[in-house]
Amino acid sequence: MTLLKLDNLKVHFPIRGGFFRRVVDHVKAVDGVSFELQQGETYGLVGESGSGKSTTGKAVVKLNEVTSGQILFEGRDLASLSRREIKPFRKDIQMIFQDPYSSLNPKKRVLDIIAEPLRNFERLSPSEEKKIVQDFLDKVGLSPESIHKYPHEFSGGQRQRIGIARSLTLKPKLIIADEPVSALDVSVQAQVLNFLQDLQQEFNLTYLFVGHDLGVIRHMCDRMGVMYRGRLVEEGKSEEIYENPQHIYTKRLIAAIPDLEPEVREDKVQLRKKLTSEYESTYSKYFDENGRAYDLKPISSTHRVALQ
Amino acid sequence: MKVETGKNIQVKDVSPSGIKIIWQEIKKDKLAMGSLIILAAILLFVYGASLFMDAKEIAKVDFLSIYMEPSSDYWLGTDYGGRDVFGQLIIGTRNSFTISLFITLFTAIIGLSLGLLAGYFGGATDNVIMRIIDFVIALPQLMFIIVVVTIVPIFNVYVFILIMTMFLWTGKARLIRSKALSERELDYIHASQTLGTPHWKIILFQLLPNVSSLIIVNFILNLAGNIGLESSLTFLGFGLPESTPSLGTLISYARNPDVLENKWWIWVPASLMILVLMLSINFVGQALKRAADARQRRG
Repeated sequence: MTLLKLDNLKVHFPIRGGFFRRVVDHVKAVDGVSFELQQGETYGLVGESGSGKSTTGKAVVKLNEVTSGQILFEGRDLASLSRREIKPFRKDIQMIFQDPYSSLNPKKRVLDIIAEPLRNFERLSPSEEKKIVQDFLDKVGLSPESIHKYPHEFSGGQRQRIGIARSLTLKPKLIIADEPVSALDVSVQAQVLNFLQDLQQEFNLTYLFVGHDLGVIRHMCDRMGVMYRGRLVEEGKSEEIYENPQHIYTKRLIAAIPDLEPEVREDKVQLRKKLTSEYESTYSKYFDENGRAYDLKPISSTHRVALQ
Repeated sequence: MKVETGKNIQVKDVSPSGIKIIWQEIKKDKLAMGSLIILAAILLFVYGASLFMDAKEIAKVDFLSIYMEPSSDYWLGTDYGGRDVFGQLIIGTRNSFTISLFITLFTAIIGLSLGLLAGYFGGATDNVIMRIIDFVIALPQLMFIIVVVTIVPIFNVYVFILIMTMFLWTGKARLIRSKALSERELDYIHASQTLGTPHWKIILFQLLPNVSSLIIVNFILNLAGNIGLESSLTFLGFGLPESTPSLGTLISYARNPDVLENKWWIWVPASLMILVLMLSINFVGQALKRAADARQRRG
């Protein structure tokens, strides 16, 4: 079952300049992105900084204005709804933020942070509310007395788990995870990722996982899309992309993953050099004269690549 | 610090209220506690005593007792009109503090609401509010005040508060706006938006607490600063009339070299009063500032 479908989504930001601050140009942060998320799967969006992956995620929760295109959630187009009309959907789509330090209000206690969504959507007595918050704290592995603490009393990993608990309280169907572990150190990353997977099983969640760490994405995602300059350049099952990358950008991205084996280090360097020359010689096969990636074309039933 | 946290380890049922936190903070700081007691004592005495004093009687000129030194009849002597300085000091402190408090309060309310709106929504809202502020700032303040003072039939404390408020809210609004502008880009505001919290709730319960330390510090500094506000106008001859004494009026008697050199009892008490009020308000303010920021708390 298709839960979320993006259809030719575009998010353009105006660049203002000149005397009257007229719109002189646009930054095409997201420029025609289409993909689908099935119920219960994890879809990864990877790309370099500024490729528009976070903007895509934020557009789904309406943190960015959508310029054109559709965001179909269970068949309803979220892009065309006003702030008021979108409110019931907020319950079903939640977001985990990248930075656990700025995403929790420093003036609020954990209880108030985690209960905020509950207070918006449900009428609960303080004791019921507290019980739910305790349950979720327990689930994310924080001690019961943390309920009266402030965010600054926790470590980065613990804070991120508070953020996750907050996004779970309404029992959403879709969670947008915007680089949820990139601000955490590696040992805590694994802990949080495994934990996200356990929660997925338990609550039958669907994840849209935005990230730039290819190892993390491979560990987490069933399917993934590779973004470059606001366009999807390749999309398919994770194995397909890792084992059989077709687009030159994807190839280079995967070749850039550091290898721990010292013996293959020289081979890797050679491979990267080869790919660089291939990139230069076959550039026009993958990008048009404006440097824009072509539209995606299917090369198998699950694998699509932006080729001429 | 370590010992204290050990004592508080039993799980509290409710989050302590803001007032409780402030109280704990003040209790921890001896200087703030002392200042609060002094401040409360002065204010209670001044407001209490002024109830039993006849302002008209004190403002009455008595040629038989000009420039008298402090005595048992006149505790702080008399001024050039033979008026009791002690009585003027009490009523003057009351007037000055009332003026300061209300001007600070009103400018804070206006500045806070407009600043938060402009900062949170940005864009067109911000533009409109900021242009209004620019307009108010561009007006020649002093000329307006002088004109109003000349036109109004009765010039008293309330008129003064009103005029000053009209011009003094702009700085606050700009300060709050700049802070709100930077806060609204933080993820916790975005998070609240994705959690379905309405704008007014985000502004009041997410944004406001995070600008509160700035507001408190600014409020306290203003409260202390506004105590001497009317003295400059008095100097120009457009201050409150002598029938409504204020600390500024008393101090400005010292413009007369003779008073400054030989008749200390006229201006020293008022100057000391301003000093003590300002200092104690500031010390209490420091404690409030720490209470507003969970990371700085001692209690």
